[in-house]
Amino acid sequence: MSSLVVTPENQIQRLNSILVRVEHLQKLDFQTLTTPPGPKSWNIVEVLTHLNIAYGLYRPKFDEVLENTPNIQKESNTFKVSAWQRMIINMQRPKGTVRKWKMKTLKRFEPLLDTETMNEGKVTATFVHFFDSHLHLKDCILKSRRKDVSKRKISSAIGPIVKFYLPEAFEFLLCHLERHMVQIDEILKKQAVVS
Amino acid sequence: MDDEQYQKLKAFFPNISFTEKEESHFRSLWSIRSFSQYDLITEAGSIERYFYFVLEGVQAIYVLNEKGEKVVLGFSYSGSPSGVFDSFIGQQPSQTFLEALKPSKMLAITQTDYLSLFEKHSGFYVWGHDFFQNILFGRLSREVELLTLAAEQRYKAFMQRCPDELKVIPQKYLASYLNMKPETFSRLRRSVDY
Repeated sequence: MSSLVVTPENQIQRLNSILVRVEHLQKLDFQTLTTPPGPKSWNIVEVLTHLNIAYGLYRPKFDEVLENTPNIQKESNTFKVSAWQRMIINMQRPKGTVRKWKMKTLKRFEPLLDTETMNEGKVTATFVHFFDSHLHLKDCILKSRRKDVSKRKISSAIGPIVKFYLPEAFEFLLCHLERHMVQIDEILKKQAVVS
Repeated sequence: MDDEQYQKLKAFFPNISFTEKEESHFRSLWSIRSFSQYDLITEAGSIERYFYFVLEGVQAIYVLNEKGEKVVLGFSYSGSPSGVFDSFIGQQPSQTFLEALKPSKMLAITQTDYLSLFEKHSGFYVWGHDFFQNILFGRLSREVELLTLAAEQRYKAFMQRCPDELKVIPQKYLASYLNMKPETFSRLRRSVDY
């Protein structure tokens, strides 16, 4: 498998396009956002909630590492991802509009929303949470441009079996986000067929 | 903005005559924005909020290629305009990054205020005509250089016209702008007089 070199600029560009995408989603009506395409599927708000939960597990780790890594002057920001982490990341990465490796969500990442009591306020809160979390992610990527990121690893949310350097964790989260954007596309497509 | 800074800005808009009231309004539309070295002034994927006039520093505008490498399209520096203009005018997400290669101070105007200049003062259309003409001619001559000149000639042509403050930015940006490898640029810098 070819090597994987990541840069914060590339990650920021991709994150920005996801943020724009979710801003557009926010304009969809309540029905579209909260109706799953099938009995076993998530609706869009559940997908976003899942993404919020996932980021919540990284957020304090990012804060801790960034706070305790001194700023340095550096010209190049490229980071070569090591083999094991590359495999984990690439399992998340969607290929075009296809999600490879369908996977079962671990319990701790389940959105567990009560669909009975879902209302407009809760939908808005999910979007607010999403933007707050992912603007924080952007801030972390920006801060990491001035840090030596090759010193400290963090345990992934999957567990200590996978440890990430910051750029690897960012890449993992971005691929995870991109994967779920593909899922949202699929939900919208199925809804269009049904209606 | 102090008077000296304002005079620099004013010189960028020659041949525009204001009444006193118009001039103070024009001046009030600009705010100073400062950036540290390597700050991203505009991120790809976001919408450009400002048209800039550079007071200090050097900035590079670049896109990322498929490998994620920066491909430099151009530079801005003291006395020149800056910003991601297509995104600014169209209010569409930018395809390019704008990054401060040196600590930078820039005067910024929002899109609404920029457009209002043209509405309120026809002199800006004349300025716009000259401004866009110069940009177009500059880009055309760069295209010809890139397509017709050998690496050494491109290097010479660029170094002859490039302001001194641009010569001290990291070489890889200059190399990318001239569509050559940093190693080639470095070899030319050692061996070629211009």
